[in-house]
Amino acid sequence: MLAEEMYEFRGQLKERGIIFCYSGYMTEDVLAGIGSAIRRKLEIEEADRRTAKILFSVFVEQVQNVIRYSAEGEPPNVPPGDFDLRYGVLTVGIQDDMYFVACGNLVKNADVDPLGAALSHIKALSKEELKVLYREKLKDGPPEGSKGAGVGFIEIARRADNGFDFDFAPMNDEFSYFCLKAYI
Amino acid sequence: MENLNIQATQRTPEVDFNFEKSIFFLRGESYPEDVTSFYGPVISQLREHLASREGVEISFGFELIYFNSSTAKILFGLFENLDEAASAGNKVNITWAFEEDDDNMEEMGAEFAEDLEHADFQLKQLKG
Repeated sequence: MLAEEMYEFRGQLKERGIIFCYSGYMTEDVLAGIGSAIRRKLEIEEADRRTAKILFSVFVEQVQNVIRYSAEGEPPNVPPGDFDLRYGVLTVGIQDDMYFVACGNLVKNADVDPLGAALSHIKALSKEELKVLYREKLKDGPPEGSKGAGVGFIEIARRADNGFDFDFAPMNDEFSYFCLKAYI
Repeated sequence: MENLNIQATQRTPEVDFNFEKSIFFLRGESYPEDVTSFYGPVISQLREHLASREGVEISFGFELIYFNSSTAKILFGLFENLDEAASAGNKVNITWAFEEDDDNMEEMGAEFAEDLEHADFQLKQLKG
Protein backbone atom coordinates (compact mmCIF):
# COMPACT_ATOMS: atom_id res chain seq x y z
CA MET A 1 0.00 0.00 0.00
CA LEU A 2 2.77 2.38 0.88
CA ALA A 3 4.52 1.92 -2.40
CA GLU A 4 1.27 2.00 -4.33
CA GLU A 5 0.23 5.26 -2.73
CA MET A 6 3.58 6.89 -3.38
CA TYR A 7 3.66 5.61 -6.93
CA GLU A 8 0.22 7.06 -7.50
CA PHE A 9 1.43 10.41 -6.18
CA ARG A 10 4.42 10.25 -8.48
CA GLY A 11 2.05 9.47 -11.36
CA GLN A 12 0.03 12.58 -10.60
CA LEU A 13 3.17 14.70 -10.77
CA LYS A 14 4.24 13.00 -13.97
CA GLU A 15 0.86 13.66 -15.59
CA ARG A 16 1.48 17.34 -15.04
CA GLY A 17 4.89 17.14 -16.63
CA ILE A 18 6.65 17.73 -13.33
CA ILE A 19 10.29 16.69 -13.19
CA PHE A 20 11.16 18.26 -9.84
CA CYS A 21 8.82 18.91 -6.96
CA TYR A 22 9.64 20.29 -3.57
CA SER A 23 7.15 21.19 -0.89
CA GLY A 24 8.45 22.35 2.44
CA TYR A 25 10.72 24.84 4.07
CA MET A 26 12.77 26.66 1.48
CA THR A 27 16.29 27.41 2.52
CA GLU A 28 19.36 28.55 0.66
CA ASP A 29 20.80 25.04 1.07
CA VAL A 30 17.71 23.55 -0.53
CA LEU A 31 18.09 26.07 -3.35
CA ALA A 32 21.72 25.13 -3.92
CA GLY A 33 20.97 21.39 -3.82
CA ILE A 34 17.97 21.42 -6.14
CA GLY A 35 19.77 23.94 -8.33
CA SER A 36 22.67 21.63 -9.02
CA ALA A 37 20.34 18.68 -9.63
CA ILE A 38 18.40 20.77 -12.17
CA ARG A 39 21.60 21.76 -13.93
CA ARG A 40 22.74 18.14 -14.02
CA LYS A 41 19.42 17.00 -15.44
CA LEU A 42 19.56 19.65 -18.16
CA GLU A 43 23.11 18.64 -19.05
CA ILE A 44 22.07 15.01 -19.43
CA GLU A 45 19.06 16.03 -21.50
CA GLU A 46 21.42 18.08 -23.62
CA ALA A 47 19.16 21.09 -23.32
CA ASP A 48 20.96 23.94 -25.01
CA ARG A 49 23.11 26.02 -22.69
CA ARG A 50 21.03 29.13 -23.21
CA THR A 51 17.82 27.38 -22.09
CA ALA A 52 19.64 25.76 -19.17
CA LYS A 53 20.95 29.11 -17.99
CA ILE A 54 17.58 30.84 -18.31
CA LEU A 55 15.81 28.04 -16.46
CA PHE A 56 18.36 28.15 -13.67
CA SER A 57 18.08 31.91 -13.41
CA VAL A 58 14.27 31.83 -13.19
CA PHE A 59 14.50 29.01 -10.63
CA VAL A 60 16.85 31.01 -8.38
CA GLU A 61 14.68 34.14 -8.47
CA GLN A 62 11.52 32.14 -7.78
CA VAL A 63 12.98 30.24 -4.84
CA GLN A 64 14.63 33.34 -3.36
CA ASN A 65 11.25 35.07 -3.51
CA VAL A 66 9.74 32.28 -1.40
CA ILE A 67 12.69 32.33 1.02
CA ARG A 68 12.29 36.08 1.52
CA TYR A 69 8.58 36.67 1.25
CA SER A 70 6.46 33.61 2.02
CA ALA A 71 3.94 34.47 4.73
CA GLU A 72 3.96 30.89 6.05
CA GLY A 73 6.84 29.80 8.21
CA GLU A 74 8.49 29.00 11.50
CA PRO A 75 8.59 29.77 14.32
CA PRO A 76 4.82 30.32 14.61
CA ASN A 77 3.45 33.33 16.44
CA VAL A 78 5.99 35.78 15.07
CA PRO A 79 5.31 38.25 12.27
CA PRO A 80 6.17 36.79 8.82
CA GLY A 81 9.06 39.24 8.55
CA ASP A 82 10.78 37.43 11.45
CA PHE A 83 10.45 33.85 10.21
CA ASP A 84 13.57 31.71 10.28
CA LEU A 85 12.10 29.23 7.82
CA ARG A 86 9.62 29.94 5.09
CA TYR A 87 7.30 27.44 3.49
CA GLY A 88 6.70 27.09 -0.22
CA VAL A 89 6.13 24.70 -3.08
CA LEU A 90 8.31 24.48 -6.17
CA THR A 91 7.76 22.53 -9.35
CA VAL A 92 9.91 22.37 -12.46
CA GLY A 93 8.68 20.52 -15.49
CA ILE A 94 7.84 20.39 -19.15
CA GLN A 95 4.49 21.31 -20.63
CA ASP A 96 3.67 21.88 -24.32
CA ASP A 97 7.36 21.55 -25.19
CA MET A 98 8.27 24.36 -22.80
CA TYR A 99 10.03 24.17 -19.51
CA PHE A 100 8.23 25.75 -16.62
CA VAL A 101 9.15 26.80 -13.10
CA ALA A 102 6.23 27.33 -10.73
CA CYS A 103 6.32 28.44 -7.12
CA GLY A 104 3.53 28.82 -4.59
CA ASN A 105 3.39 30.36 -1.16
CA LEU A 106 1.06 32.09 1.25
CA VAL A 107 0.83 35.87 1.16
CA LYS A 108 -1.02 38.25 3.44
CA ASN A 109 -4.30 39.49 2.00
CA ALA A 110 -3.06 43.04 2.38
CA ASP A 111 -0.23 42.25 -0.07
CA VAL A 112 -2.45 40.69 -2.73
CA ASP A 113 -3.48 43.95 -4.44
CA PRO A 114 -0.07 45.63 -4.56
CA LEU A 115 1.72 42.43 -5.62
CA GLY A 116 -0.95 41.64 -8.20
CA ALA A 117 -0.83 45.17 -9.59
CA ALA A 118 2.97 45.12 -9.82
CA LEU A 119 2.99 41.74 -11.57
CA SER A 120 0.21 42.74 -14.01
CA HIS A 121 2.22 45.82 -14.84
CA ILE A 122 5.41 43.83 -15.43
CA LYS A 123 3.54 41.24 -17.49
CA ALA A 124 2.25 43.90 -19.86
CA LEU A 125 5.65 45.48 -20.54
CA SER A 126 7.70 44.96 -23.69
CA LYS A 127 11.28 43.67 -23.54
CA GLU A 128 12.57 47.21 -23.91
CA GLU A 129 10.28 48.57 -21.19
CA LEU A 130 11.32 45.75 -18.86
CA LYS A 131 14.93 46.69 -19.44
CA VAL A 132 14.23 50.32 -18.48
CA LEU A 133 12.32 49.30 -15.34
CA TYR A 134 15.09 46.86 -14.40
CA ARG A 135 17.66 49.66 -14.57
CA GLU A 136 15.47 51.92 -12.45
CA LYS A 137 15.20 49.19 -9.82
CA LEU A 138 18.95 48.56 -9.84
CA LYS A 139 19.53 52.26 -9.36
CA ASP A 140 16.91 53.26 -6.82
CA GLY A 141 15.02 50.10 -5.94
CA PRO A 142 14.27 49.04 -2.40
CA PRO A 143 17.13 47.32 -0.61
CA GLU A 144 17.41 43.58 -0.23
CA GLY A 145 14.74 42.03 1.95
CA SER A 146 12.25 44.85 1.70
CA LYS A 147 8.69 44.23 0.61
CA GLY A 148 7.20 44.85 -2.78
CA ALA A 149 7.81 43.49 -6.23
CA GLY A 150 11.53 44.00 -6.55
CA VAL A 151 13.99 43.33 -9.26
CA GLY A 152 13.57 39.54 -8.95
CA PHE A 153 10.17 39.51 -10.68
CA ILE A 154 11.49 41.74 -13.45
CA GLU A 155 14.40 39.35 -13.88
CA ILE A 156 11.91 36.48 -14.30
CA ALA A 157 9.87 38.48 -16.81
CA ARG A 158 12.99 39.36 -18.80
CA ARG A 159 14.41 35.85 -18.88
CA ALA A 160 11.30 33.70 -19.36
CA ASP A 161 10.98 33.66 -23.15
CA ASN A 162 7.39 32.51 -23.05
CA GLY A 163 6.22 34.78 -20.25
CA PHE A 164 4.59 33.98 -16.95
CA ASP A 165 1.18 33.58 -15.36
CA PHE A 166 0.19 34.22 -11.79
CA ASP A 167 -2.87 34.34 -9.60
CA PHE A 168 -4.12 34.24 -6.03
CA ALA A 169 -6.57 31.98 -4.22
CA PRO A 170 -8.21 33.39 -1.07
CA MET A 171 -7.68 31.15 1.99
CA ASN A 172 -9.14 32.99 4.95
CA ASP A 173 -9.45 36.47 6.50
CA GLU A 174 -5.71 36.84 6.71
CA PHE A 175 -4.04 34.91 3.90
CA SER A 176 -4.22 34.06 0.22
CA TYR A 177 -2.25 31.54 -1.77
CA PHE A 178 -0.02 32.96 -4.48
CA CYS A 179 1.36 31.09 -7.46
CA LEU A 180 3.63 32.24 -10.26
CA LYS A 181 4.51 30.02 -13.20
CA ALA A 182 7.15 31.06 -15.67
CA TYR A 183 7.58 29.42 -19.10
CA ILE A 184 10.96 28.99 -20.76
CA MET B 1 46.42 47.54 1.04
CA GLU B 2 46.78 43.76 1.32
CA ASN B 3 45.76 41.91 -1.85
CA LEU B 4 42.49 40.10 -1.62
CA ASN B 5 42.05 36.56 -2.86
CA ILE B 6 38.84 34.73 -2.07
CA GLN B 7 38.31 31.32 -3.65
CA ALA B 8 35.12 30.71 -5.59
CA THR B 9 32.38 28.58 -4.07
CA GLN B 10 29.32 27.05 -5.72
CA ARG B 11 27.47 30.30 -5.13
CA THR B 12 30.08 33.02 -4.78
CA PRO B 13 32.66 34.17 -7.30
CA GLU B 14 36.41 34.19 -7.00
CA VAL B 15 37.54 37.61 -5.83
CA ASP B 16 41.00 38.41 -7.15
CA PHE B 17 41.87 41.97 -6.14
CA ASN B 18 45.44 43.10 -6.65
CA PHE B 19 45.51 46.51 -4.97
CA GLU B 20 49.20 46.99 -5.63
CA LYS B 21 48.69 46.83 -9.41
CA SER B 22 45.06 47.99 -9.37
CA ILE B 23 44.00 44.88 -11.27
CA PHE B 24 40.73 43.35 -10.17
CA PHE B 25 38.76 40.28 -11.17
CA LEU B 26 35.46 38.70 -10.25
CA ARG B 27 35.13 35.19 -11.71
CA GLY B 28 32.44 32.56 -11.49
CA GLU B 29 28.90 32.38 -10.20
CA SER B 30 27.12 34.75 -7.87
CA TYR B 31 23.90 33.98 -6.05
CA PRO B 32 24.92 34.24 -2.40
CA GLU B 33 22.51 33.77 0.45
CA ASP B 34 23.20 37.32 1.56
CA VAL B 35 24.78 39.60 -1.04
CA THR B 36 25.51 42.29 1.52
CA SER B 37 27.57 40.09 3.80
CA PHE B 38 29.56 38.68 0.88
CA TYR B 39 30.13 41.85 -1.14
CA GLY B 40 29.98 44.49 1.60
CA PRO B 41 33.55 44.10 2.96
CA VAL B 42 35.03 43.42 -0.47
CA ILE B 43 33.51 46.50 -2.03
CA SER B 44 34.28 48.83 0.84
CA GLN B 45 37.96 47.90 0.51
CA LEU B 46 37.80 48.51 -3.22
CA ARG B 47 36.09 51.89 -2.74
CA GLU B 48 38.69 52.96 -0.24
CA HIS B 49 41.44 51.97 -2.64
CA LEU B 50 39.84 53.69 -5.64
CA ALA B 51 39.35 56.91 -3.68
CA SER B 52 43.07 57.02 -2.94
CA ARG B 53 44.19 56.64 -6.59
CA GLU B 54 44.99 59.45 -8.96
CA GLY B 55 46.38 59.27 -12.47
CA VAL B 56 46.90 55.51 -12.44
CA GLU B 57 45.71 52.63 -14.61
CA ILE B 58 42.94 50.57 -13.09
CA SER B 59 41.62 47.41 -14.69
CA PHE B 60 38.52 45.44 -13.68
CA GLY B 61 37.62 42.14 -15.30
CA PHE B 62 34.18 40.60 -14.86
CA GLU B 63 34.14 36.93 -15.83
CA LEU B 64 30.80 35.81 -14.54
CA ILE B 65 28.97 32.70 -15.59
CA TYR B 66 25.75 33.47 -13.75
CA PHE B 67 24.53 36.06 -11.26
CA ASN B 68 21.15 36.66 -9.65
CA SER B 69 19.20 39.89 -9.47
CA SER B 70 20.49 40.82 -5.99
CA THR B 71 24.02 40.55 -7.36
CA ALA B 72 22.99 42.73 -10.32
CA LYS B 73 22.33 45.57 -7.88
CA ILE B 74 25.83 45.19 -6.47
CA LEU B 75 27.42 45.11 -9.92
CA PHE B 76 25.51 48.21 -10.94
CA GLY B 77 26.97 50.05 -7.96
CA LEU B 78 30.42 48.74 -8.78
CA PHE B 79 30.25 50.20 -12.28
CA GLU B 80 29.32 53.56 -10.74
CA ASN B 81 32.34 53.38 -8.41
CA LEU B 82 34.65 52.55 -11.29
CA ASP B 83 33.29 55.40 -13.38
CA GLU B 84 33.85 57.79 -10.47
CA ALA B 85 37.45 56.63 -10.25
CA ALA B 86 37.80 57.36 -13.97
CA SER B 87 36.29 60.82 -13.60
CA ALA B 88 38.80 61.48 -10.82
CA GLY B 89 41.59 61.21 -13.37
CA ASN B 90 42.44 57.52 -13.48
CA LYS B 91 42.50 55.42 -16.62
CA VAL B 92 39.90 52.78 -15.92
CA ASN B 93 39.39 49.75 -18.16
CA ILE B 94 36.45 47.46 -17.57
CA THR B 95 36.25 44.13 -19.37
CA TRP B 96 33.06 42.10 -19.33
CA ALA B 97 33.44 38.50 -20.42
CA PHE B 98 30.60 36.21 -21.46
CA GLU B 99 30.43 32.61 -22.58
CA GLU B 100 29.83 31.89 -26.24
CA ASP B 101 26.09 32.10 -27.07
CA ASP B 102 25.25 33.66 -23.73
CA ASP B 103 23.42 36.62 -25.20
CA ASN B 104 21.84 37.47 -21.84
CA MET B 105 25.22 37.87 -20.16
CA GLU B 106 26.49 39.92 -23.10
CA GLU B 107 23.40 42.13 -22.94
CA MET B 108 23.76 42.65 -19.18
CA GLY B 109 27.32 43.87 -19.65
CA ALA B 110 26.25 46.30 -22.32
CA GLU B 111 23.44 47.54 -20.07
CA PHE B 112 25.72 48.12 -17.11
CA ALA B 113 28.07 50.02 -19.40
CA GLU B 114 25.38 52.39 -20.68
CA ASP B 115 25.87 54.85 -17.84
CA LEU B 116 29.66 54.92 -18.06
CA GLU B 117 30.94 58.39 -18.95
CA HIS B 118 34.64 58.13 -18.21
CA ALA B 119 35.69 54.51 -17.95
CA ASP B 120 36.56 52.38 -21.00
CA PHE B 121 34.48 49.30 -21.53
CA GLN B 122 35.04 46.16 -23.56
CA LEU B 123 32.99 43.03 -24.13
CA LYS B 124 34.98 39.85 -24.46
CA GLN B 125 33.80 36.41 -25.48
CA LEU B 126 35.23 33.61 -23.38
CA LYS B 127 36.55 30.70 -25.40
CA GLY B 128 34.34 27.64 -24.95
